[in-house]
Amino acid sequence: MQHGKYRFIVGFLALPLGLYALFVVWPFIQSIYYSFTDWTGLSPEFKMVGFDNYKRMLDDEIFWKSLQHSLLFALVLPVVTISLALFFAFMINVGGRRRRGGPVISGVRGSSFYKIVYFFPQVLSIAIVALLFAFAYNPDSGAINSLLRGIGLGSVQPLWLGDPSLALWCVMAVLVWSTVGFFVVLFSAGMASIPADLYEAALLDGANRVSTFFRITLPLLWDTVQSGWVYMGILALGAESFAVVQIMTTGPGGPDYSTTVMVLYVYQKAFRDGQAAYATTIGVALLVVTLLFAAVVMRLGRRERLEY
Amino acid sequence: MKTTETSAPVPAESGASVSKVDMPTDAPAKQKKEGNVLNVFSHGMLVLWAFMVVMPLLWAVMTSFKDDSSIFSSPWALPDKLHFENWARAWTDANMSDYFLNTILVVGGSLIGTLALGSMAAYVLARFDFPGNRFIYFLFIGGMSFPIMLALVPLFYVVNNMGLLNTIHGLILVYIAYSLPFTVFFLTAFFRTLPTSVAEAAFVDGASHSRTFFQIMLPMAKPGLISVGIFNFLGQWNQYMLPTVLNTDPDKRVLTQGLVQLAASQGYKGDWSGLFAGLVMAMLPVLAAYIVFQRQVVQGLTAGALK
Amino acid sequence: MGSTSAENNGSAGVGRRDLIKRSAALGLISVPTMSFLSACASSGGGDSTSKAKAGKKTAKNPLGVNDTAGMEFVLFDGGFGKEYAQDAVKIYQTNFPKVKVKFSATQKIQSTLQPRFNQGTPPDLIDNSGAEQMDMGVLVGKKQLADLTPLLDAPSYDDPSKKVRDTLRPGIVEMGQFDGNPVWIMYYAYTVYGVWYSQKALDSLDAQYPKTWDEMLAVCEKAKKKGIAGWTYAGKYPYYIPFSLYPMIGKVGGREVLDAIDNLEPNAWKHPAVKACFEAYYELYKKGYILKGTPGLDHIQSQTAWAKGKALFIPNGSWVENESANVIPADFNLAVSAPTGIDSSDKMPFGTIWASGGEPFIVPAKAANPEGGMEQLRIMLSEASSKNFTTKVKSLTAFNGGTSGISLTPGLKSGVAALKLAGDNVLNPRLQDWYVQLQKEQIGVAGLGEMMAGRSTPAEAIKKIQGFADAAAKDTSIKHYKHQ
Repeated sequence: MQHGKYRFIVGFLALPLGLYALFVVWPFIQSIYYSFTDWTGLSPEFKMVGFDNYKRMLDDEIFWKSLQHSLLFALVLPVVTISLALFFAFMINVGGRRRRGGPVISGVRGSSFYKIVYFFPQVLSIAIVALLFAFAYNPDSGAINSLLRGIGLGSVQPLWLGDPSLALWCVMAVLVWSTVGFFVVLFSAGMASIPADLYEAALLDGANRVSTFFRITLPLLWDTVQSGWVYMGILALGAESFAVVQIMTTGPGGPDYSTTVMVLYVYQKAFRDGQAAYATTIGVALLVVTLLFAAVVMRLGRRERLEY
Repeated sequence: MKTTETSAPVPAESGASVSKVDMPTDAPAKQKKEGNVLNVFSHGMLVLWAFMVVMPLLWAVMTSFKDDSSIFSSPWALPDKLHFENWARAWTDANMSDYFLNTILVVGGSLIGTLALGSMAAYVLARFDFPGNRFIYFLFIGGMSFPIMLALVPLFYVVNNMGLLNTIHGLILVYIAYSLPFTVFFLTAFFRTLPTSVAEAAFVDGASHSRTFFQIMLPMAKPGLISVGIFNFLGQWNQYMLPTVLNTDPDKRVLTQGLVQLAASQGYKGDWSGLFAGLVMAMLPVLAAYIVFQRQVVQGLTAGALK
Repeated sequence: MGSTSAENNGSAGVGRRDLIKRSAALGLISVPTMSFLSACASSGGGDSTSKAKAGKKTAKNPLGVNDTAGMEFVLFDGGFGKEYAQDAVKIYQTNFPKVKVKFSATQKIQSTLQPRFNQGTPPDLIDNSGAEQMDMGVLVGKKQLADLTPLLDAPSYDDPSKKVRDTLRPGIVEMGQFDGNPVWIMYYAYTVYGVWYSQKALDSLDAQYPKTWDEMLAVCEKAKKKGIAGWTYAGKYPYYIPFSLYPMIGKVGGREVLDAIDNLEPNAWKHPAVKACFEAYYELYKKGYILKGTPGLDHIQSQTAWAKGKALFIPNGSWVENESANVIPADFNLAVSAPTGIDSSDKMPFGTIWASGGEPFIVPAKAANPEGGMEQLRIMLSEASSKNFTTKVKSLTAFNGGTSGISLTPGLKSGVAALKLAGDNVLNPRLQDWYVQLQKEQIGVAGLGEMMAGRSTPAEAIKKIQGFADAAAKDTSIKHYKHQ
C-alpha cells in the first residue's frame, strides 16, 4: 500500500488543513500572541508586556474561582449525563420483559416513543433552553415554585438561582436536561447492534439485568462512551456553559461568584472591561485545562478493545 | 439488527409466564420480585424523564399564546384566549421567514462541506502512518477547546481581507473550519473501527487510494457520517457568535441572530409573549424535521454500530 | 467497537523520506499563514481610511458637513427601540438629499464594532450602550474618540443665536468629559433614578411617600398587614439597588461622601452615612418587608411583580415606565420619588435626587465623516426630535425642556416634578460609568446582593466593598478618574 501514498495524503489533507489553519489556527495563534501584550481590544495600539498577564492571572481570586467551577462542570456533568443516558438507553433497548415468541431481548414498551421524545431538547438552541429555565426558576411566580405551591409545598420555596449554594447546581441541571437525549439516541444505536446471542449467553448463565449491563453492554459500548465523555466535557468547559451562565445567573456569574466559569470570565474581560489581552490569557488557561481533560479521559479510558 | 420494536401485540402476561421465560435456569422467587421492583422503578424513571422533557416545551407553546401579565400571574393556567398577535409580532419584528432561508443555505452548505472535508482528513489520519500524523491530529483536536470569542477579531481580518465579509459562502467556509475539529475527532475514531480487510482487498485489485476511499470506505462510514452530521447540524444551526461578527448585513442574518435580537429585546421591553412566540416558531420546524426523519437518524446510527 | 489494525499510528520509524514529508506538512500550515501575516496583523491598523472632505460651513450647515459623503450610524437597539433614531436619520436624509445614510441597530455593540475600531474604519456615530458597551475609559485613553466641542459650540438646530451647549440640561456636558476640557460623550437620554411606586397603591394604604426612615418602616408595616411587601428589586442584578441607595447616602452624608466613593478614596465606605444607610436597608430585610423570592428575580420579573401590586417600592430609573408598559395597569398612577432619608439631621433636604445622562453617543476619531455624525446628533438635540423621543419612549432627553405641548405619561410627569423639587440638589455618582466591574459585579452582586438577601450583615458588606474599592484603586490595569 505504498505507491502514491504520500500524494494521496497530501491531496486529502490540503484542503481541510488549509481551511482550518487559515480560519481557526491562525486567528488563535494571533490571539495567544495578544496574551503577551496590553491590547485593550478597542484600538490597534498595544505593546508587549511579557508575562505580566500570566502573573496577574495567578493572583486573581476570581480566576481561581472560575477555574474551580469549570473543573466541577467538566467532572460532574459528563458523569451525570452519561450515567443517566446509559440507564435510559439500556432500559429502552434491553430493559423490557421477555415475551413468549418475542425476541430474546427487547426494550420496554413505548421505547421508540421515548427515543423521539428524549431527543427534543437537543434540537433547541441552548440559549432558548436557558431562557426557558431562567423563567421556570423564578422564585416568585416561576413554574417550579408555583408547582411546589400547587402540590401543597408552599413552605418550600427555594431561591434557586438567587441562592449561592443552589445556583451552580441549577445551571448544571439545565445542561443535563438538554444533553441527555442525544446520548440516549447515540447509546441506543450502539446497544441495538450488540449481537443478541451475547445476551442469551449471559442470561443462560443466570445473569440479571444489572450484571448484563456491566458485563456486556458497557464494555462493548466503551468507545462510544469515551467519545461522548470527551465531547460532553468540552461542551461543559466551553460553549454550553457560557450560554447558560450568561443568560440565567445573577450578575451574571453570581450570586457572589458562585457560578463564574472560565469562559464567562473571558467574555467579561474582553467585552465588558476592555481588557482583551488579559481575556486571551485566561483563554490560554482554558485551552490548557481542556486539553488536559481530554488527555486524562483518553488515558484513563484506554483499555483493550473487545472483539465479538 | 433492530431490537427496539415493542409495538407487537403482547399476549396477556401473567407472572407465571414471565418467570418461565425469564429464568431459564432455576428461578428463585426473590429474584423475580427484585426484577419487578426494578421494572417499576425504571419504567417510572423513563416516564418521569419524558414528562420533564415535554412539559417545558408544551409550556412554552402555551405561553406563546398568552398575554404578558398572565404569564407571570398564573404561569400554569391556560391562555384566556389565543393571542395570535404575539406570533404576528415575532414574525414581523424578527423577519423569521428570511432568516430561515438564510440559515438553511448556510447550514446546508456547511454541512456538506464539513462532512466531505472532515471525512477526508479523518480517513487519512486514521488509516495512514506518516510523520506529523499525531501533530496534525492534535492540532485539530486542540481546536475544540479554545473559546471562539477570542479569535473573533483576528478572524474578522482574515475574512475581510479575503473579501468574504457579509457573504453566505464566506460564512459557510468559516463554519466548516470551526466544525472540523470535532468532525475529525469523531470520524478518526470511527474509521479506525472499520475493518481494513475490504480496503486492502480493493487496493490489491488495483483501485487507487482515492477510489478506495470514495467507493468503499465512505459508504462503509455512512453511519458515522450521519452521527457526526447530526452533531454538526445542531451546532451550526445554533451557531451565533460567528454570524454576529462576520455577517452584519441585516438581509443575510441567520435565525439565531433574529432570536437573540428577540431575546435581548425581552430584557429591555419585557415582551415575553413575543419572545415565546419567536422561540416556538424557531423550535417547531426543527422538531418537525426530527420527527419526520427520526427513523433515518436512528437507523443510520444503529447501522453504524453494526458495521 | 471493532478490534482492528489501524491503531499502529505511532511513530513506526522516521526515515529520511519522512522528514521531507514532515517539512511539506509544515509548509502546508505556514504558507497560508505567511501570506496573511502582513495582511491581517491588527497592529497594522493605522490611518488608512480616506476621510471625507469637509464641506463648506454655512448658516444651515454650521459643522461643514460634506453633502455628498456617506454617513454611518450604529444604534444600540435596547429599551428605547430604534424608531426615534430612524426618525432623526430621515431628517438628515432630507437635509442632505445626495447623502447615503447607513443605519443599523444591534444589541452587540462591542462584538460588531471592535474589529472596525482595530481596523481604523469605525462608523460615524455610535450609541455605545447596553451589556456590550465598549469601555469609554479605554476608548478615550487610546484616543479613539472625537472631541465633540465643535458640536457643542455650533448653533443649535432650532435657534441659531444659541449654542447647542446652552440648550442642554445641567451636568450633561460635564459627564462627557474625562480629564480636562474635551467632551468625548454626548449622553442623549436623561434619566431620573429613585424609588418608583404606584400612587394608587399608596392611596389605598392611606399613606404618603415617606420622608424619613421611620416613616418608611411604618408604611412597609402597614403594607405587610395587607399582605403586600414593602420592597422588591432586581435580585439577579442587585446593582439596581444603588439607584435609590447612593442618593440616600448623599442626602444623609452630603455630596462629598459620594465623591469620595467615586474617587476610590481609602475608607470612603467607612463613613457613618454609608453605615446608617446600609443598616436602614438591611432593616427592610430583617423586618420581612422584602418580597419573598426577590433575590432570584431579574429586572423584568421584579418589575412585573411590583406592577402587579405585590410590592410597593422598587429602586429603578425612568426607563421602567417604557420597559414595563405591558404589565403596568392603566390605573397604576406611576410615580417616582427622591429617596427617603434617615431623619431631619440629614445633610441635604428631602428631594435630593440622582439624575444623569444615559445612552452615551460617541463619534470615533477615525470616522470617515465625523462632521456627519455630529450633525446627526445636532438634529437629535433639536426640540422636535427631543419631543419625538419623549413621546415615543417616555423618557426625557439631554435637551433642556422639550416637554411643553406634549402630553406626559404619569411616570414622566412625576419625574419632571421630582427634578423641579430637587432644584440644585441633583447628585451624579459616577461609579457605574467609571468602574463597571466594581459597580456591578463587586459592589452590586457580591456586596449589596448578599446583604439584601440576608446572607451578610451591613458591617460585613461594607468591609467587603471597601476591600473591592481598595483593590480597584490599586489595579494598574484600569484607568482611574477623579471628580474635578
